[in-house]
Amino acid sequence: MGSFSGRHIIDTADLATEEILHLVEIANQLQDMGRDKARHVAAGKVLATLFWEPSTRTRLSFESAMFRLGGHVLGFSEAASTSVAKGETLADTIQTVALYSDIIAMRHPLEGSAFAASTYSRIPVINGGDGAHLHPTQTLGDTYTLLKEKGRLEGLRIGFLGDLLFGRTVHTFARLLARFGAEMQFFAPEGLNIPEYVRDSLESAGANFKEREWRLESIEDLDVLYVTRLQKERFFSEEEYLRRKNSYIINKEALSKAKPDILILHPLPRNEEISVDVDPLPNAGYFRQAEYGLQMRMALIAACLGVVA
Amino acid sequence: MMRIERITNGIVLDHIKAGVGIEILKLFPTELLRTKIDYASYVDSPSMHVKDIIKIENVDVNPATLLKLALLSPSITISIIRNGHVQSKMTPEIPPLVEGVLTCTNPKCITLLESYLSSRFHVSWNADGRIRKQCAYCEHIIR
Repeated sequence: MGSFSGRHIIDTADLATEEILHLVEIANQLQDMGRDKARHVAAGKVLATLFWEPSTRTRLSFESAMFRLGGHVLGFSEAASTSVAKGETLADTIQTVALYSDIIAMRHPLEGSAFAASTYSRIPVINGGDGAHLHPTQTLGDTYTLLKEKGRLEGLRIGFLGDLLFGRTVHTFARLLARFGAEMQFFAPEGLNIPEYVRDSLESAGANFKEREWRLESIEDLDVLYVTRLQKERFFSEEEYLRRKNSYIINKEALSKAKPDILILHPLPRNEEISVDVDPLPNAGYFRQAEYGLQMRMALIAACLGVVA
Repeated sequence: MMRIERITNGIVLDHIKAGVGIEILKLFPTELLRTKIDYASYVDSPSMHVKDIIKIENVDVNPATLLKLALLSPSITISIIRNGHVQSKMTPEIPPLVEGVLTCTNPKCITLLESYLSSRFHVSWNADGRIRKQCAYCEHIIR
């Protein structure tokens, strides 16, 4: 297992299984430490959050993670207010910011941007999303969520429901779950199924997965249901969207058919796909999922800075 | 049967996958305008069933072009002809990582906007023997 100190986090595929489990251990250690002690872990260190496209949740989660480790944060939240708008290249931005900070978390609309940035950076770069390509910190946070909530990944029966074509969180998460022996079922409206390259990689990894049409009874044998947003613009017509969206709503009534301990997850933000009447139920794991995501980002920052073993 | 004439100086590109010759000709835009080129497509071949052949007079090839030729048709053989004789004959090796030679076709790939980035492609072989060229930045697979 390689050391995380100084390392870039671009794709979960770059991480060995035991390295992922080590990050989970670090996340646990930081939580066990308590807030007062954790505030000294990255004291004096600086995180740069470089967000070329808006993302409230991921950016705030990174910034909160660094504050909770006692570090400082600088950065930008949209390209328009930066030297990028004056034509500065990604390489120049990264090399300059690397002089001002100790670690970079970035989001960029173009695919492969985080990898490109890492080739110009002398400090660790963490990919906070590169276009529709990868979102490794979401995946690691989701993995941590399952381990905390269910205690295992192997043999878990996980359903994915919603737009599975454009949802990058599902693509990276499914590929990682395949490594841990989870059983996956994909439910998507016609035309929004998982892309062919994801299906290919799951098949070549020998993953246990099925693609099915969503019915009310589909929920019955699931341990976890991971829901994603159905975006109106992905449908051919408004009529098609309206026809489809109601059949993909998870509400209290739908949950009455599920196992009593089914865990409902969602990468957030949600629209109408999970009814608010689910929120008070213990099955609603999506806000806890956001908290585990924050805790995993704390672990990643601390590990890549080399301030924890 | 179509006849391909001998050349005195230049290159002979043989064992090209049938139909790919037209793509290979695009690597020689200057020569297409100023020198003699013979191009035969879907020629009978004992080893390949059918193949393309190209002969270009008075041209040299550099290592980057050799690699591009091999990436377009891994079966290609390249003969350098000097004074009517074959001076050398080769099948270029394809490394597992090819840099600065190919261009990603994903319109959302970072290499298209940040043009100073040198392209990088992981090259491997599919189970059916076809070459697979995957962008190291965005993972897009190009044809």
